[in-house]
Amino acid sequence: MKKILAVARWEYMEKVKSKIFLFGLLFTPLIMIGMGVLPTLFVSEEDVESRIIGVIDPGGKVYQEFAQRFQNRYLLKNKQPNYIVLPLAVGTGVELQAAVEDANRRIADDLIDGYFVVPQGGSDTVVEYRSKSVGDFATAARIEENLKSIVTEKRVQALGLDPSVVRQLSPKLDVRMVMISDEGKREDAGFERVFLSAYVFLMMLFLLIVTSGQMLVRSVIEEKSNRIVEVLVSSCSPTELMAGKVLGLSGLGLTQMGFWALIAVAASFQFGMQLVDLSDAFLLLIYFILGYLFYAAIFIAAGSPLNTEQEAQQITSYLVIILILPIVLALPAMKTPDASWIKVLTYIPFLTPTMMALRIPIQMPALWEILLTIVIMLVSIYVAMVAAGRIFRIGILSTGKSPKLKEIYRWIKNG
Amino acid sequence: MLSVQQLRKQFDTVVAVDGVSFDVPGGSIFGLLGPNGAGKTTTIRMILRILEPDSGTVTYNGEGFTEATRDMLGYLPEERGLYKKSRLIDTLLYFAELRGMQRSKARTIVMSWLERLGLEQAAQRKVEELSKGNQQKVQFVGAVMHDPAIVVLDEPFSGLDPVNQNIFKDILLELKQKGKAIIFSTHQMDQAERLSDALCLINKGRVVLGGSVREVKKRYGRNSLHVDFDGDGAFLATMTGVQNVMLYEHSAEMELLPGVTPRDLIAAINPRLELRKVELLEPSLHAIFLNTVGATQLVETGKEGAA
Repeated sequence: MKKILAVARWEYMEKVKSKIFLFGLLFTPLIMIGMGVLPTLFVSEEDVESRIIGVIDPGGKVYQEFAQRFQNRYLLKNKQPNYIVLPLAVGTGVELQAAVEDANRRIADDLIDGYFVVPQGGSDTVVEYRSKSVGDFATAARIEENLKSIVTEKRVQALGLDPSVVRQLSPKLDVRMVMISDEGKREDAGFERVFLSAYVFLMMLFLLIVTSGQMLVRSVIEEKSNRIVEVLVSSCSPTELMAGKVLGLSGLGLTQMGFWALIAVAASFQFGMQLVDLSDAFLLLIYFILGYLFYAAIFIAAGSPLNTEQEAQQITSYLVIILILPIVLALPAMKTPDASWIKVLTYIPFLTPTMMALRIPIQMPALWEILLTIVIMLVSIYVAMVAAGRIFRIGILSTGKSPKLKEIYRWIKNG
Repeated sequence: MLSVQQLRKQFDTVVAVDGVSFDVPGGSIFGLLGPNGAGKTTTIRMILRILEPDSGTVTYNGEGFTEATRDMLGYLPEERGLYKKSRLIDTLLYFAELRGMQRSKARTIVMSWLERLGLEQAAQRKVEELSKGNQQKVQFVGAVMHDPAIVVLDEPFSGLDPVNQNIFKDILLELKQKGKAIIFSTHQMDQAERLSDALCLINKGRVVLGGSVREVKKRYGRNSLHVDFDGDGAFLATMTGVQNVMLYEHSAEMELLPGVTPRDLIAAINPRLELRKVELLEPSLHAIFLNTVGATQLVETGKEGAA
């Protein structure tokens, strides 16, 4: 046991000091926050200043009505109008080409935020809202909604009906996403929260496993090529060596995760977002550790027979593909968390932790599913560790050509 | 006391070690000789339990191998064997812990060893910043710092300048005084000849020659003529009446054929060279080695070693 701890301490201390670890520690959360938080901030951010919207209306029939509605309907927090609607060229006899050129120049000079041209003629058509940033979906949607109702009212009027009928007929609709929990309760967790917690956890698990797995493989290869392994294996048994490595690496993973969790908590306070429930977090942590140990065994088994960095990169890239699968599945799984194929995938040990990390924030799986998957993981970890130990024992001493799969299978069977 | 009995190891179809036996009593130095690929390193690995023998036994002070045995073994691997990017002191403390030492106690001992080898200033430096010779010293400290009863050194003198070779030699003799069983493998016959009490020459996995150095030499008798000379001695190689001629720039060693006396030989050489020293001796280990293993194989080995 003392020797296991010595190995663990060494693996931990040497890697904690390495640049690649520091880089992962600091930059991963930055990337996470960048990927997770910024777009939602961007989408949900409300304007703090009025925007100036230009209108080119060659017919002159829409501008007045539009300006009135648009300016009155949307208000900033300080009760000032969100939009100021500016007539750029309104009325018959407008030279469209010149007006558009003029409007483009105004955008370039930052005199207006954007403009659109009211289409002429009766048929359905496309209205372009032109502005410097094409990401302003909210404004575009608002323009569309108001233009639609104005045009509809005008058409209704042309038919000789009362335009107010339209307002009565078309209710103002706002679709909000509301998540319903298992107990049938409404949860005030919007799309962002679900998306964030599922995705952030997936990515964290993924990055943690890949970076530490690579570190493990690289260190084994270094020890092999430097013959350090001979000194190690004459000092302690291969089993102790492997156990120490797994332990040290787990410590490293927990350090990393703890640090990230701190950042996540800080970030969620900062942005007023609740990332995940505590009960969720506890479960996720369990799957996290299970997945980590399972993949540690896989990486040891895959890495110890190898002799060169190139081979190691090849192997890790295969493992990355397996790991990344649940990330690809995140969106469909969010739409249909009940789909049977998603449930089936959950029971494949390679995918269990990530699939669970994906499912838990979306919709808590049934208790029996949770217990069953944990048992599956424990058994898989045991089997993987025993097999990895057998491969490791022979693999770390093999030099020269890397062994074939058949040979490795024999090691497992005979060990 | 280390005892190796009928050790055998096979890799696939190749028998790397085939029935190797020898004893290394405490307080003695044992030379393990042989060309590359002869099975020296495989034998060493089985002694250190890096490899399991297929058959045969190794006993350590009369007992079989247990986990506790590891702490009484010291090992200097043939080359490298250190973490390049790690600090020297950290690496040694790690190795010391793995050999069962207390970290705090190990620090004092490691530092005194480093001081003795003139490396105390380098303790905080990274291994890759050290010269090859100094790295070898660090490995040497790693092999002896935990006061092991059995010290195994694979090519300990490679990459060392004469001054450091002398330091190593002194330490080895000191360990011998302390009653340690020391095994070292080498290609340098003169080293083996001067240092070892007993030796064993392995070729193709088998012991082809073994015993105390005196015994081995006696077996060959005093029939080797050593000459130092000035002039062109090229003709010595093809002279009649001798075999296994080893020719150097200004000296030669040749084995007399039966019936040829030293006098005959000197008479033949004297007119053609300025002889400075003539001695009738036992053959050198080098000559015995060549004689036993075969000259061609050694030449090949030399090439491999240089590559």
